[in-house]
Amino acid sequence: MKNKNSKIFLIFLIPTFISIILLTYIPVLRGLIIAFQNYNLFDLSNIHFIGFKNFQAVLNDTNFSFLRILLNTFLWVTVSLFFQFVLGFGLALLMQKPFKGRGLYSGLVFYPWALSGFAIGLIWAWMFNGQFGIINDLLQKIGLIHQNIGFLSDPKYALISVIIANIWYGIPFFGIMLLAALQSVPLELYEAAEIDGAGHFKKLFHITIPYIKPTIISTTLLRAIWIMNFPEIIYGMTSGGPANSTNILATQMINKIYNFYDYGQGSAIGLMIMGIMIIYAIIYLKVTYLKEFEL
Amino acid sequence: MKKLMIVLVSIFLLVSVASFSASAKVTLNFIEVLTSPERTDLLKEIISDFEALHPDIHINLISPPYEQADQKVTLMLNTNQPLDIVEVRDYTVKQFVNNKKLLNLESYLGSWPDSKTLLPITWQSARTVDNIAYIVPQEFYIKALFYRTDVLKELGINYVPETMSELFEMCKEITDPSKNQYGFSFRGKAWELKFSDLISGSFLDDLDTNNIYLKTDGKVYFNDPRAVEGLKLYIRFFEETTPKDAINWGFNEQVNAFVSGTAPLLIQDPDTVGLVDKMLGRDKYMVAPIPVGPSGKAYLDYGFAGLGIPSYSKYKEEAWKFIEYISSPEVNSYFCKNYGPLPIHSVTYKADPYFNTGVYLAWAYMMEHPEKYVFAKYPIDSSKWPGWPQIHEADMQSLLLGKVTIEEVVNKWTEYWQ
Amino acid sequence: MNIIKKFIRFTALMICLIFALIPLYWIIITSLKGPKEIYTFPIKYLPEIISFESYRQLFAFTNFAIYFRNSLVIALIASFGALFITLFSGYALSRYGSSFKKYILFSLFFTQMIPMFLIMVPLYKIFSQVGMIDKLITLIILYTNMMIPFSAIMAKAFFDRIPVSLEEAAQVDGCSKQQALFKIVVPLTLPGLAAIFSFSFINTWNELFLAVMFLNSDVNLTIPVALNSFISKAGIGWDIMSAGLVIALLPTMIVFAFTQRYIVAGLTRGAIKG
Repeated sequence: MKNKNSKIFLIFLIPTFISIILLTYIPVLRGLIIAFQNYNLFDLSNIHFIGFKNFQAVLNDTNFSFLRILLNTFLWVTVSLFFQFVLGFGLALLMQKPFKGRGLYSGLVFYPWALSGFAIGLIWAWMFNGQFGIINDLLQKIGLIHQNIGFLSDPKYALISVIIANIWYGIPFFGIMLLAALQSVPLELYEAAEIDGAGHFKKLFHITIPYIKPTIISTTLLRAIWIMNFPEIIYGMTSGGPANSTNILATQMINKIYNFYDYGQGSAIGLMIMGIMIIYAIIYLKVTYLKEFEL
Repeated sequence: MKKLMIVLVSIFLLVSVASFSASAKVTLNFIEVLTSPERTDLLKEIISDFEALHPDIHINLISPPYEQADQKVTLMLNTNQPLDIVEVRDYTVKQFVNNKKLLNLESYLGSWPDSKTLLPITWQSARTVDNIAYIVPQEFYIKALFYRTDVLKELGINYVPETMSELFEMCKEITDPSKNQYGFSFRGKAWELKFSDLISGSFLDDLDTNNIYLKTDGKVYFNDPRAVEGLKLYIRFFEETTPKDAINWGFNEQVNAFVSGTAPLLIQDPDTVGLVDKMLGRDKYMVAPIPVGPSGKAYLDYGFAGLGIPSYSKYKEEAWKFIEYISSPEVNSYFCKNYGPLPIHSVTYKADPYFNTGVYLAWAYMMEHPEKYVFAKYPIDSSKWPGWPQIHEADMQSLLLGKVTIEEVVNKWTEYWQ
Repeated sequence: MNIIKKFIRFTALMICLIFALIPLYWIIITSLKGPKEIYTFPIKYLPEIISFESYRQLFAFTNFAIYFRNSLVIALIASFGALFITLFSGYALSRYGSSFKKYILFSLFFTQMIPMFLIMVPLYKIFSQVGMIDKLITLIILYTNMMIPFSAIMAKAFFDRIPVSLEEAAQVDGCSKQQALFKIVVPLTLPGLAAIFSFSFINTWNELFLAVMFLNSDVNLTIPVALNSFISKAGIGWDIMSAGLVIALLPTMIVFAFTQRYIVAGLTRGAIKG
């Protein structure tokens, strides 16, 4: 019996793995090799192994401070993730009890998820525009500011602006996932708690969150990884500027490839991204004791 | 019976001959890089005219998005994708030649009658790399000064600035942040070096025309005291005549500021003419030659794009036929008229009133006064060039934001190009 | 007290909705202004004249209808393809234990960490060697592959929610294993499958960088590439761009609107009473 089971098991999985190995893993290996070569499109006649020179060049880059890029990446991921989660969770909680028109409401409030990152970058760039942007206009109308702010031209504000666009985009993901998880909490648990006299906060922290903890952990882990690999919004809004203030690892990778034609350094950055994510995933899973990846 | 056989065989032969010659039709793959909806339309028009004259040639136009077009062409050439005509920019030609992907066009140009009327800068641009012609330039991008006649009139200005300091004074005079009125449409992002070098360079008179970053004594120009003066003026333009937001202004924002009247003085390329016509209307603006600097000169960079033939193309002769066609004075003039940039033949400027009156007068004037306007090129064939515009932009933004000093920046740049 | 609570809840929900909708409103409004009204002071929140000029230009200047068709074909086939493949994989991962299972799941999960740009050039080389550049089928293959890992993980999660006891009960009743799978289990996971389909459709419809790299000829382009090509040396033409953006987001919004109720329902655990 076991033999037959394993056979079917494998047959079902073969198409998946042929696809992934051919079209993902093998190219990754090739990319890995390029990271250690001087692969520059400006002159392809002399490609050879140069060890860790690409990595050194990226780390010591005087024009695009690596520390700054690392800091930006860290802020980009953590701040976006935090607010996406909190606001998404809040929204899910608000929607937990059914109400009239909830179906229509969820279709409308969750739609940002359906847009492309690039389009979102463009739309928000237009809204944050220093001359014709409605954000400047509205803030002035409320009286919060008195002069146009160059949101995307001032290094002080640029990073926060791209993060806001990212938060707007990511709330629906958590909203949907957490709403579903919330609806799986058995009502009896709440009823029992209410009999014991528990208020809202107690219910939230002692029943709801523990019950959906696996979902919370899985979704935040996945989302963090996606955010890190998500340069489209920044690409559409600022391309990493001004003065390196919105440059993250993923956009610097694009910068090296598109503007410097340097695939060697670009691939090196790609490797760094992967390395960071692996370490992060391992630590995160250990810390949260997640036994199996659950959605 | 015999008759029937003869008829059938004849029909068979006719059909096979017909299909054979039909299949002798050649399809060329033509990839452009300066993609924009209007220009692509224009190219398609020119292509169908050409196809009508050459029924045995069909051209397939490939138009990748502008932002990724150069990478696309690079990748396609490097993997020998079927291409027969490639659009090459001034700063990509060296790379393609390095990787041996472009055909040497000297012999083709030599036997082409129209090549006699090409401008000197056309020949220089064609021969950018190793002094061998690998491309036929199609259009030139040279800066000039656009100004809003209506806005300036309203603000009480009735003269056109002829020197850099006059330009600055004018811009400063009309700037009034409380009324959201500024003077100069500043370029802070993406290729901003073309503007800062233009202003700084005008303070010298001994720049090398083969490399605008070098003086005739071979030294790099950035830390020359005169250049530093020019750079200081450039910074003053930013601080006193333009919104702070301009540090992030690209082409789009520059033009928008000009069109909305916020910044009625704009330095830009001729292809801006078509755009501003559409957004504003030709009656509201005019174009003047670039103001000269204290040296009485201005150094003009001539950006260009041209057409080349991949070295591995299977249809080189047919490809050249098209290039000949589109580069002829007539077609080139038509193309430039509808798209904006400057044509490549000297006859066009002399013969066509479109190019020697009205807004284009400014460029014609600059071409006819080499004592004031010197054409010089950027070191686009240097291996240090790729990535340099991004480095310059990051440094300039830091400088404008006060994060570094002028000395630090000019010394850094000087060292880079040493 | 209840009324106050309800009011607060209502207000909070409305604020969220407004926050979500403002960008959409603004881009739609921009697309309905004529080209000259877009760059004005003061900013107009409602167009003075509603003009469809931008849309007219969109369809006149470009082959937007063809791009729409290409995007639709590619997105549909890739999404169904990924769904079909991962349906089996998800079932297998859910129902069959194995010492390899942890590693298999991790290898799927790991693919999410790989930056797209790292593998773009090697992929291009592979496909150019077999002459498959500039073909829609190539993108279909690449997108299907792109969607497989996460879809498989999601499919496993959905199958996990359905108790094995259901299949066993059906088999006791005389069904074969395959019949049990298709007649009992799959219908119950339909909401989950709708979720996977929707996720794949949205991602493949919006994908930009691979499409730009692998497609050349005008007749093969997809919508994101077309939108991107509205950014020229002259910057962004917001008239055509806004019109294009609005049309581009219609299909994904529709697919999303229809399936999101299933997503929520499908992810709900314990939806099936034992």
